Amino acid sequence: MEAARKKDAQGAPFTDYDYSSFYYGAGDDPLNILGPFAAWYQEAVPAGYYLYSEPLHSAPATRVRVENGKTGEVKDLLNLASYNYLGISYREEVKAAAIEAVKKYGLGASGSPILSGTFDIHRELAQAVADFKDKEAAILFPTGYSANVGFISALMRAGDHVLLDQYSHASIVDGAILAKSKTVFFRHNNPLDLERKLSKCPGKKLVVVEGVYSMDGDVCALPEIVEVAKRHGARVLIDEAHSTFLFGPNGRGVAEHFGLDHEVDFHLGTFSKSLGGQGGFVCGSRQLIDYLNGFSRSRFFSCNLSPILAAGILAGLRIAENEPQLRAQLWSNVAFLRRRFAEEGVDIGKSTSQVMPVLVNDDAKVFRVAEMIQERGLYLQPVTYPAVPKHKSRLRISVSAAHTEADLEQAVQVIAGVLRDEGVSCR
Amino acid sequence: MSITRYGYRHAVSGFFEFPTENAKLLLPSHLEPVELHHGTSIFSLTAFEFTESIVGSYGELVASVIVVPLIRSGERFPKSAFYPYLVATTTREAREHAIERWHLPHFMEDVEMAFSLKQGEMTVKVAGGGSPIAEMAITEHAAAPVSHLYQCFMSNGSGSYLARITMEGEQSEHEDERGRLTLFDHPFHGNLDVEDVATAPFREMWMRDGQQLFDPLQRLGPA
Repeated sequence: MEAARKKDAQGAPFTDYDYSSFYYGAGDDPLNILGPFAAWYQEAVPAGYYLYSEPLHSAPATRVRVENGKTGEVKDLLNLASYNYLGISYREEVKAAAIEAVKKYGLGASGSPILSGTFDIHRELAQAVADFKDKEAAILFPTGYSANVGFISALMRAGDHVLLDQYSHASIVDGAILAKSKTVFFRHNNPLDLERKLSKCPGKKLVVVEGVYSMDGDVCALPEIVEVAKRHGARVLIDEAHSTFLFGPNGRGVAEHFGLDHEVDFHLGTFSKSLGGQGGFVCGSRQLIDYLNGFSRSRFFSCNLSPILAAGILAGLRIAENEPQLRAQLWSNVAFLRRRFAEEGVDIGKSTSQVMPVLVNDDAKVFRVAEMIQERGLYLQPVTYPAVPKHKSRLRISVSAAHTEADLEQAVQVIAGVLRDEGVSCR
Repeated sequence: MSITRYGYRHAVSGFFEFPTENAKLLLPSHLEPVELHHGTSIFSLTAFEFTESIVGSYGELVASVIVVPLIRSGERFPKSAFYPYLVATTTREAREHAIERWHLPHFMEDVEMAFSLKQGEMTVKVAGGGSPIAEMAITEHAAAPVSHLYQCFMSNGSGSYLARITMEGEQSEHEDERGRLTLFDHPFHGNLDVEDVATAPFREMWMRDGQQLFDPLQRLGPA
């Protein structure tokens, strides 16, 4: 890769650095970090980082029009990068609901949810979410990020312990930081390490896990983790961002899938993944929701979710409820793709869900692989260090119920072909 | 003072998670630990097999905390920064040289170091006064030539200092967590709570057949 050998403006190969290199920096001027970052960035972008934030010119459906970040050309690509796991966000019913809402409410909520920003559509959506999750009540947040930050910092305080999986989403980590609690990380999906850590934590304890982990697509070892947590008197929060509406007999999530819906204390989810919308929610008792309404600063110091989004999400939620065949189709697609990848020797790591990492395991090569895959008609995102460990670079696939087997077969052919051409070892 | 050069055969480093509370106990007040996660800092142990220096060949064990680098306008950007809170050497000459020239805090007895290479894994055993100090195994990934700039901070009763160190050689680096560390109960560890240091490195780095180049020491301020 020619660009990788180029040196930055200060004489070092840009591959010696990454985003994590420019996070910390002491000195006498906060702007001193900008020069070194700019020198690195001007080499990093043409070498592959241009693949991030490429503008879409269409809905995030199975086919998507993508503006190439290097050439500016807009091309139709098969989309395996968007969440939209059930293919709902661009359904006619959803668009119609959003159009009706904009006619009725205008653009935004124009206020905090605790002041003037709560509309009838917000209350209707919150109740619909609570009913779907079989909980007493629910509270809405403007984003999934704010849901985790707002929930954890509302409930936990300095002196408490928040125990996090080492692969926790940034919103969970940031929630623990804002809570000023003592944060303890346990090895990924490892109940034994959780047990070891919990045994050293006195006082109030909250264990936070995710239903599906977003970088590896593996499912939480929930039964064992809940058992350990209960034995140590810890409460459990599950973030079902990537699993609500997908897992379990009724689509409530991984907790329902394991029959642990009532053993898990707190249930959090988002509308941005399976429903392709935006926003987050927490479900639980009325007491819990009333408390969060008063103490979730990320929520009450933000403008409420747009009523247009709330209306579209509500229409999407009804589709998810009334069309369980979408879940069945998704899992059929997942099974097909897993089988075909196995036949072609493509390594998808420990994934057992609709999130599949295609492991390239070569930080210098992953951008070239991603470029070639895009040139051959697929829209996929590379993921590199520091989002994943060094040399665990990958392309992340999001499977949708809307994909056809022909779509998925095309994806397999392109991905396996590029990996072979680039000499990436397959299992 | 010109650049000081040390030639090495092996320099193996393990980077381990440990509590930020512990890191702060080891650091002077003007340095901040880099956190891998909130509340989790980075302890590093590096074992050098020096083959060429003004004090001859010797072994060196460096126990450090990874710290926030000092960014100054117009200077080359460092790959990272570290604060060696304690160094041990196999010879008195090496120890006296490093104390005098670099103000590095030392364990004041000679230690014994044994490097053993077997099937892509380097095991380093360090002992002092007849008792084991540490045993660390570091594994190999693909190696490539590098020239990396690091900042090394020092602090003692005479002041606080910074040395820019360039590490050149064939480098292998990975995060497969295949290595391991055992820290034994030994006076070398001092304020380090060995029970709280992870036993598997989240990152393993191995450099071979290269040189370590020290720029002249910069005094940053009083102790």
